[in-house]
Amino acid sequence: MTAALRPFLRHEAILFVLLVAALFVLAGQSDRFFTIANLLNQGRLMTEIGLVALAMTFVIVTGGIDLSVGSILGLCAILLGVFWQNLGLPLPLAMGLAVLVGGVAGLVNGLIITRFRVPPLIATLATLALYRGLAEGISQARSVRGYPDWFFVLGQGDLAGVPTQLWILGLLTLVAGVVLGMTAFGRATYAIGANETAARFSGVPVDRVKIAIYTASGLVAGLAAVIFVSRVSTTRSDMGTGVELDVITAVVLGGTSIFGGRGTIIGTAIGLVLIQALKNGLALAGVKGDGTIVVIGLVLILAILASNLFSREDG
Amino acid sequence: MLKKTLAFALGLGLMSGAAYAQSAWTGGDDLPTNPLACDGTPAAVASKPYDGGSPTNAPDRKGKPLNVVDVPKLIGIGYFNATSKGIADAAAELGNVTAKTDGPTQANIDQQISFIDNYITSGVDGILFAANDPVAIAPVLKKALAAGINVVGYDANSQPDARQWFVNQAEFNGIAKAMIDSLAKESGEDASFAIVTSTFTTPNQARWIAEMGAYAAKCHPNLKWLETVEAQEDNVLSFNQATTLINKYGDELKGILGMTSVATPASAEAVTQAGKCGSIAVVGLATPNAMKPYVEKDCVKSVVLWNPVDLGYAAMYVLRAVADGTLEPGATSVKAGKLGELQVINGSEILLGAPFVFTKENIGNFDF
Repeated sequence: MTAALRPFLRHEAILFVLLVAALFVLAGQSDRFFTIANLLNQGRLMTEIGLVALAMTFVIVTGGIDLSVGSILGLCAILLGVFWQNLGLPLPLAMGLAVLVGGVAGLVNGLIITRFRVPPLIATLATLALYRGLAEGISQARSVRGYPDWFFVLGQGDLAGVPTQLWILGLLTLVAGVVLGMTAFGRATYAIGANETAARFSGVPVDRVKIAIYTASGLVAGLAAVIFVSRVSTTRSDMGTGVELDVITAVVLGGTSIFGGRGTIIGTAIGLVLIQALKNGLALAGVKGDGTIVVIGLVLILAILASNLFSREDG
Repeated sequence: MLKKTLAFALGLGLMSGAAYAQSAWTGGDDLPTNPLACDGTPAAVASKPYDGGSPTNAPDRKGKPLNVVDVPKLIGIGYFNATSKGIADAAAELGNVTAKTDGPTQANIDQQISFIDNYITSGVDGILFAANDPVAIAPVLKKALAAGINVVGYDANSQPDARQWFVNQAEFNGIAKAMIDSLAKESGEDASFAIVTSTFTTPNQARWIAEMGAYAAKCHPNLKWLETVEAQEDNVLSFNQATTLINKYGDELKGILGMTSVATPASAEAVTQAGKCGSIAVVGLATPNAMKPYVEKDCVKSVVLWNPVDLGYAAMYVLRAVADGTLEPGATSVKAGKLGELQVINGSEILLGAPFVFTKENIGNFDF
């Protein structure tokens, strides 16, 4: 690791200590928290957010943001149902197409951002409304139900004792970690976030990298949609509302700078687990929902303050 | 590049074009309807075998203290505060039940599922719920039953086999009749009207709208439905949607049906601010407190509802009876404290009673 990487390893270290501390405290509050069954179940509940957060880490490292992921999730979920029930396609094909639509939606984001030089915040704010509107329009306010049993394996079943979707999340986390940390593509991602102009003049294919990242963001949102539908066994046009905020919270808590240039997949993973552990652990300890949100807000502020403090001493 | 962009625009345009090709009343579901007789002859109760679920290896809870959690669609709104009060009242009356209400601050299926999931893990004896989606909530409720937890729904049902009993606040066709009769009486038999609902897929609202469509076709065929608009259960959005309707249809609009306890007062406020009191009738479901100002000003004449405090109260009594084993599959009625004997309908539902129409004469007697 180079010296440049050290400050954000520091953030992850702080976060990890915070996570371990939180786990200890929460385990002390309820004897039902630190059980294999509960932890695996929490893994199941956080998969959709986790998948989207992986791609979001790339997006935010480039200095961008993707607010449309929740709407893409809703759109893909609805289309999965429409492809399967209304168009009569075989379910596996419908699943594939739904993910593909997510990719196309992401590609549209990428094209708007790179070709028309629209700031990502504005572009994806617009598509947030656009995709949700399409989802609601296409669904004609009907939900699609009655999927075959095998489909539920994805969202409700187990593979070797571990929730099926957790395998997918684990695999993709590994892939994302390797791509961001060890490949030329990952280095290009950091370069764009640190200084886009410099990156452009250094021969980094800035637009192509960005388009690839936003497309990937759409693809994982599509994948998350399929898993979500399988988990709750129905499709609705309001699925995934507000997901973008949960995702961005996890990524930022994980130490990714909202200004770009900094961030790691491992940080995002820890941020994600910390939030899920707090939500679950506090609920089991008898804290009500509104209290939990307050705690998560405080932890986010504290983690970022602490990290700023340490990195300032460093410099 | 331009070509690509045009292709995208065209594709998106086509997709959204396909979105508007529907007849009937938007926002209704496609289940079969069963409109009541126009003159109010009560429908015969068809007997139907028990179709609810049952918990696996539930411990003997007869007469033992129960730890119960109530997970409504969302917390912090008048309606669910009232059901929550009813649950607390019943728990206090029973003496051997600890009940608390907890849930998401937005009507969100995913969050509601997480809340229930966490309470299953924490090991409660009973769960009371009002579903945000009848199918989406089913897997987690089945998980609760599999963990030996007693599960009773109220207000918004799940799939029947995912819970034991459901306390039905009023039959859908009964509410539909009360709404449409009031509308026709106030705005005239040939009036044009619009509907403000929560979302097109919310189970209760979708059912009511479908039943209202069927009942209107049967008993008030000249009423003209214009449009149904979605307003979540959001105050500001409901007001804006109602205002948009008033501006869009002008004098053609003679009535607004509010399908939620948020949409109705917001629609009444919109009508008041537009200075259309008397020319646009607002009929809807709402809690009396929210409607008192409009009813007293004669801007609203009929508020249709049941008593949500009684609803929560009944749900708590039903849960206690299920845990005690006094309410078993096949029963035809259940005792619910001060409400007396409640009737079992549709196999595994318990009917709270006929809907109640609040008017200027009686609204002052209610405080919720």
